[in-house]
Amino acid sequence: MSTPAQTAAAQRASQKTPKKKKGSDQGVVEQRSALQVWGKSAMLGIILLWCLFPFVWLIMTSLKKGNNALNSPNIFEGPFGLQNYEAVFAQDFHLNLRNSLAIAGVTTILCVVVGSFAAYALARLPLKRKILLLGGVLAVSLFPPVALVPPLYELWNTLGLLNTWEGLYIPYTAFALPLTIFILVTFFASIPKDLEEAARVDGASPFKAFYKVILPLAAPGVFAAAIIIFVAAWNELLLASTFAPRDPEVAQTVPVAIAAFTGAVQFQRPVGTITAACVVVTIPMIIVALVFQKRIVSGLTAGSVKG
Amino acid sequence: MTATTEAEERGPGPGSSGRPAKARRKEMSETTLGRVFVAPAIVLMALVALFPVMYAFVISLQAYSGRLNEGFAGFDNYVTGLTDERFWTSLQFTLVFTVTSVAAEFLIGLGFALLMNQAFRGRGITRAAILIPWVIPTVIAAQMWFFMFNVTPGFINSLFGLGDFNWLGQSGWAAFAIIFADVWKTAPFVALLLLAGLQTIPGDVYEGARVDGATMFQRFWYITMPLLKPAILVALLFRTVEALRVYDLPQVMTGGAFNTESLSILVQQYVVRTPDPGLGSALSTITFILILAIGLVFVKLLGKDLVIGEQDSK
Amino acid sequence: MSRLTRRGRWLAAGAVSILVVTACTPGGGDDDGEGGGEMVWAIGGSEAQPGGVHQKVAELWSEENPDNPISIEILPDEADAQREQQALELQAEGSNFDVLGMDVIWTGEYAVNGWVESLEDVRGDIEEVTLAPAVESAMWEGELWAAPFNTNAGFLYYRTDLVDEPPTTWEEMCEMAIEIGEQEDIGGYIGQGARYEGFVVNWLELYWSGGGELYNEDQTEVEFDVDIATQATEFLLQAEEEGCLAPGFNTALEDEARNVFQSGDAVFMRNWPSFYSVVKDGGTPVAKNFDVAPLPTFTGEGTISASGGFNLAVSAFSENTEMAKEFVVWAGTNKEIQTMLATDASLPPTLESAYDELSDDPVMALLGEVLPEAKPRPPAPQWNEISVEMQRALFPAYNGEEDPAEASEAVLEFLESTVE
Repeated sequence: MSTPAQTAAAQRASQKTPKKKKGSDQGVVEQRSALQVWGKSAMLGIILLWCLFPFVWLIMTSLKKGNNALNSPNIFEGPFGLQNYEAVFAQDFHLNLRNSLAIAGVTTILCVVVGSFAAYALARLPLKRKILLLGGVLAVSLFPPVALVPPLYELWNTLGLLNTWEGLYIPYTAFALPLTIFILVTFFASIPKDLEEAARVDGASPFKAFYKVILPLAAPGVFAAAIIIFVAAWNELLLASTFAPRDPEVAQTVPVAIAAFTGAVQFQRPVGTITAACVVVTIPMIIVALVFQKRIVSGLTAGSVKG
Repeated sequence: MTATTEAEERGPGPGSSGRPAKARRKEMSETTLGRVFVAPAIVLMALVALFPVMYAFVISLQAYSGRLNEGFAGFDNYVTGLTDERFWTSLQFTLVFTVTSVAAEFLIGLGFALLMNQAFRGRGITRAAILIPWVIPTVIAAQMWFFMFNVTPGFINSLFGLGDFNWLGQSGWAAFAIIFADVWKTAPFVALLLLAGLQTIPGDVYEGARVDGATMFQRFWYITMPLLKPAILVALLFRTVEALRVYDLPQVMTGGAFNTESLSILVQQYVVRTPDPGLGSALSTITFILILAIGLVFVKLLGKDLVIGEQDSK
Repeated sequence: MSRLTRRGRWLAAGAVSILVVTACTPGGGDDDGEGGGEMVWAIGGSEAQPGGVHQKVAELWSEENPDNPISIEILPDEADAQREQQALELQAEGSNFDVLGMDVIWTGEYAVNGWVESLEDVRGDIEEVTLAPAVESAMWEGELWAAPFNTNAGFLYYRTDLVDEPPTTWEEMCEMAIEIGEQEDIGGYIGQGARYEGFVVNWLELYWSGGGELYNEDQTEVEFDVDIATQATEFLLQAEEEGCLAPGFNTALEDEARNVFQSGDAVFMRNWPSFYSVVKDGGTPVAKNFDVAPLPTFTGEGTISASGGFNLAVSAFSENTEMAKEFVVWAGTNKEIQTMLATDASLPPTLESAYDELSDDPVMALLGEVLPEAKPRPPAPQWNEISVEMQRALFPAYNGEEDPAEASEAVLEFLESTVE
């Protein structure tokens, strides 16, 4: 993230601050005022509440029996039961999970691989008109997707890509590449060139330098990009519902399946099954997030002390 | 031409002077290497995105109403679109939504990132908890916030003792509810990018500053923010272009009523609900140009930092 | 060494692409068309799911016609999404669907686009035994394009513990709603007031019950009455101001209205018959204290409701046209099947004689009374556009953001542009 010029500027800036005041961060033996500790915990509490209250709502609503989940604002009221979860899995939801996992997984891998190469070239290798390329890359992801669907549908129909995994992960990769490239370019550019040069001096080819030196240093960015791509591909609805609208055995993904849930009668909203499916879907995502966040934060650079 | 050869000579550094012939082969191939590296990405994106965009543009020039194409119509569709009051109303809402939600997401995301960066007990769980709003599929989140804000059964109303306050049924508050839901859902995305950005700031810089007696705020303002600038710009860029294309939240929460119709909802109506492919494609193109213009401003700011800045700082 | 790593790079790229190619779909793509007489029925909704009554209908047909069995292709729940998926297939002239489950308002559009087969040759068989409004909803420009399958009409649900006699005029209903609402501290009248098609249905019921019309018989002339339209909109406006409308009226779709009534927060509800069983089995105190009645009118005489439902059409690109036609006629006129729709799923049949058997069921009995008076929305090809225009004009008007008279004028203007 920081170019050498910026690091130097920052160091100069830090030298300019003369006032002596105590900081309150870890790593140094200091006195923490009780107020600061209390303040931090309170903030933490508010943040957790803000993030999790709706999730609690989802869980409680999914556990309610019967059809009056939305009759009263009291989420802790009412008979509870696991009917909604049974109903969700009775509809081949595990196949939807499989499809989504595969498609999102392939998208992520493809995107990271293709995107890394492109980002490295844009950040390091001499290419003409980089701004133009960056702008062009950006432009790809900007067109309103809803208008792209009719022509893409016809194209896919001719190519026989409807109702297939490829038919989904190819466009997903294409649409996720711009963000990936942008993230990775900023990360690659922030790695000091000297490290790369040192590797070259030792006889490494550009590719090896890229692979052994740059990539590990850019790991936080790579994993951040990977999570973002995975979640985006997993939750994508428009293309998935047009290209693979039915058939869980083949390619129907999780959001499409959820959108197809029906109530017990016409016009009834299937709140119970939708919330149950959402809980089922979120739990693996949280696990993925837990795993990935460790990788993002475990800095492999020399500056792993947080400040 | 000269600039490139100079860069090529400077590229591998001082160690290459001892191997002139091999080095030159390697250097000259760096440009080709660059081209080879970007090629797969460009090809993939062009394949999937270029054809439909061209197609949509061509259609926008036709008088294609309902399901019958009546031939070339020049820029008629564009005129119709731009003179429709509905376009301007939805543009206004979209802009207001974008500015407000991106600003809020940035501030909250930054706060989250700084928090997630700390080492404290239970930080893993906290980080995962912060990511939860973002991993929930958008359509479900939209439904959920509809149920929360709707005056019946009134979850939010009963939580804050607001009686029968009709959030989604009045101008202004409907927009607020949608913005709130979007901020809740996407602040983690910004937080994630900024968190990754924070990782690349070397700790010694902070050490030096602390030794010199800099306060937390001074360290934050003079060190963290400048070094985080590229990550901030990327986050802002992509949040902005996403926000300009918002569809699910307003569609599910209000259907676009009470001045909460976004540009994408308008486009969707003309492409799908009341098919007028000519007008729909024209509106899409107009939206596209608008978003592209705004995006390019960010790219210029960003590009200067990374790409050109890099070569100059040598 | 550089050559080695370059080769290494290509190897890596090759490995990745092989991985990608083999990460293909298990089992490949679609079936390659039906061999022989198998037919596909494209329909969505709760009854199209496994265990639903539509599946039973398909099974019964397949038993009796083993050479031409029919299976259901399940479409999404929402009508708009169903239409989109059918449109994608039909626009591409695909033969994957033989029978289409068509919402009553799509008839004109599908006919004009050449997507469905004309059923003129079997019109006689259908018309004799089917309810007139249902037949009307399947016709465009004097031709029959689909076989009515099930229909629908709006009811007035009311609380029997709070109301002795259901009201016969809208004004009466509001008086009762306000009075009782204040007494019990609950809302008055809940319907579908959000800005969507359901609102147009609610508004049309008010408008029609005041004597208004949209088009003449063959939809060649506009007969829109601005005064009656303004009366309908102003009724809603006043109802909101006086507290007749329950909180949440202007953001409610069908299920929100049901939730409000079921939880006891409204005295009256306008909704479709399908919710009768939902409220009855809902386990709340309301379950034992409610009943259904015909919708009120402005004049106090008779009743009018918007008719809904589904018709079955034969795709113009089907490879089994004859058998598909037989199926749709059978599904719409076979007494056993039609009665089963009612008993198994509370779907109102279109076969007139089915109601003779069902008079024990309060819902079916009321339907028998109300259906002959139900009015379909004009099955014009531009119905979607008309509906959207009406929503955009009338919704702000009843919420106090636009003038009702001006809104009515805007609607008239648009309707006239459709017949030019």
